[in-house]
Amino acid sequence: MDESTKRLLQRLIRRIPTQMLRTTLDKWGRLTGGQLHSMDFTQSKWALTEKLLAICEENELAVKHITELEMIYIIDNPNQGMWYAFQLMDPEDDAHSVELTQFKEQFKSHLRELIRHVSVKIKKHTDEAVWIRIAWGDTFSRPNHMKPTYVVHSLQTPYVFVTSLTSKQKPLLSQALVLSTRYQAIKDANLSGRKLTAIRDLLMRQYHQVFPTRYPTPLAENNPAVSNQHIEKEQAESAANRLQAACEAFGGGMLPQLQSAVYKLETKFRDHSNKTMTEREEPFRCVVKFASTNLLESLRHCASSGTKNLNCLHPCHTSALLYPPKRKELFCYHRQWPRSLLTNAPTTEMMGDKHLI
Amino acid sequence: MSLLKPFSKLPGLCTANILLVESEEQFQQSLADALVEETAVTVNVRLAKSLPLPMENEESRPRIDLVVFIINLTSELSFQSAEASLKYLDPGYFLGKVCFMVTNARNASVPTERLDAVRKLAASLNCPLLFAEDQTPDGVTNATERLLTILKVAAGLVPMATALYLSNLTRCTVPPDIDQPSFD
Repeated sequence: MDESTKRLLQRLIRRIPTQMLRTTLDKWGRLTGGQLHSMDFTQSKWALTEKLLAICEENELAVKHITELEMIYIIDNPNQGMWYAFQLMDPEDDAHSVELTQFKEQFKSHLRELIRHVSVKIKKHTDEAVWIRIAWGDTFSRPNHMKPTYVVHSLQTPYVFVTSLTSKQKPLLSQALVLSTRYQAIKDANLSGRKLTAIRDLLMRQYHQVFPTRYPTPLAENNPAVSNQHIEKEQAESAANRLQAACEAFGGGMLPQLQSAVYKLETKFRDHSNKTMTEREEPFRCVVKFASTNLLESLRHCASSGTKNLNCLHPCHTSALLYPPKRKELFCYHRQWPRSLLTNAPTTEMMGDKHLI
Repeated sequence: MSLLKPFSKLPGLCTANILLVESEEQFQQSLADALVEETAVTVNVRLAKSLPLPMENEESRPRIDLVVFIINLTSELSFQSAEASLKYLDPGYFLGKVCFMVTNARNASVPTERLDAVRKLAASLNCPLLFAEDQTPDGVTNATERLLTILKVAAGLVPMATALYLSNLTRCTVPPDIDQPSFD
């Protein structure tokens, strides 16, 4: 094993937390039972790395095996690094019948045509998603495995999620993707974040609330019994109504973990005490950012706890957060901002640009 | 205006009824679970987000012996909601049957003016002000014990002590220099 391979392995082991190391190595399957057994996972990371290096030398493993291990780790823990979502546009006639082997061949050959030294690894995950790991080199140097790009694509959908891509590599990847998936163009879906699972659910609408529906009121028999007969809630009915309204807007189950939403807003100033600002001709442009550990959950909680001054709970406002911006949504405003700054007239338009951070 | 009246109903035998009013509806649930564990007395807990209480429960509601307003100091809304609820209490309650409980007083993000405002409010109404820690089970247990002490007196279950007498001893006082700027 040469120096760069050793360094790659060292960096990888440093990255994988010890509690996951054993399962990941198991899945990798390149270590024999005896070797895996001989590794003592209670030792320090450094000691483990040395041991693993020795074992890999013994098994004569090469770079491609190490990258396999990295891929296994990333597939099991996708929620790190920044993921950017892209959407493929204008499918050709046979776009929907592209199947895996065809996609793999086409992608690899197109990418190799564009850039000579590139190392591509494609793997199909159990849930229909295709994971691609690309290590970029250029005409003179070998692929750099220290900074690989990961791409996730589900074959029958137009969405692609990418991480660690530089601006120079972006057109190459876009071209290869477009050609191999038989679409005509690719554009930025304006959605990014650290949790791949959250943005994927949001974009591919895998969570159940699609639009405000009549949330079924739970049957009285299904409700768990009241905690204690001596405890009674005075305002139980109004609490139940609020919860019902919140669930109608957001759905009752798990919501994708949106952490920040940034909107560009054009609005007009309205404050009678300030004539100069009110009489301006051009619209007021500002950037609005909502941040939280889980935006949709906190909005749902606001609705169900009846925070009266928060007027952003109209279902079509919440849908503004739920769907990537294809339409102009009504703006929602937060009570802490000066009321004079914003109007809620339908003429206010908002261009959404959401980042989940 | 539907005022909550302290003496319009008959008391129960060996029973104490407490009303916990909290805008966030969080701490009151854990307090309630701890309060009903009391064995010497039957404690009935009513939970509310704010006053006034709904008219539908008027007949089934027992006589409330102690009303506790739980204020989360990190939220201005919490304080305002508690203040607004005060006017729905009959003045008879303020003779020892009202208590203020405050959480998150140690939080660095709490502006000192808010705690001062709560203090002044409690002092002007001659009510005790308790500080509670709501995140740990120990904190909940401590808060429960203190509430139970006041509750038993307010329900008339402690001989030779009345709510008015106890409130004279435990009521919140405001130091005379509260409006002076502090040193930190």
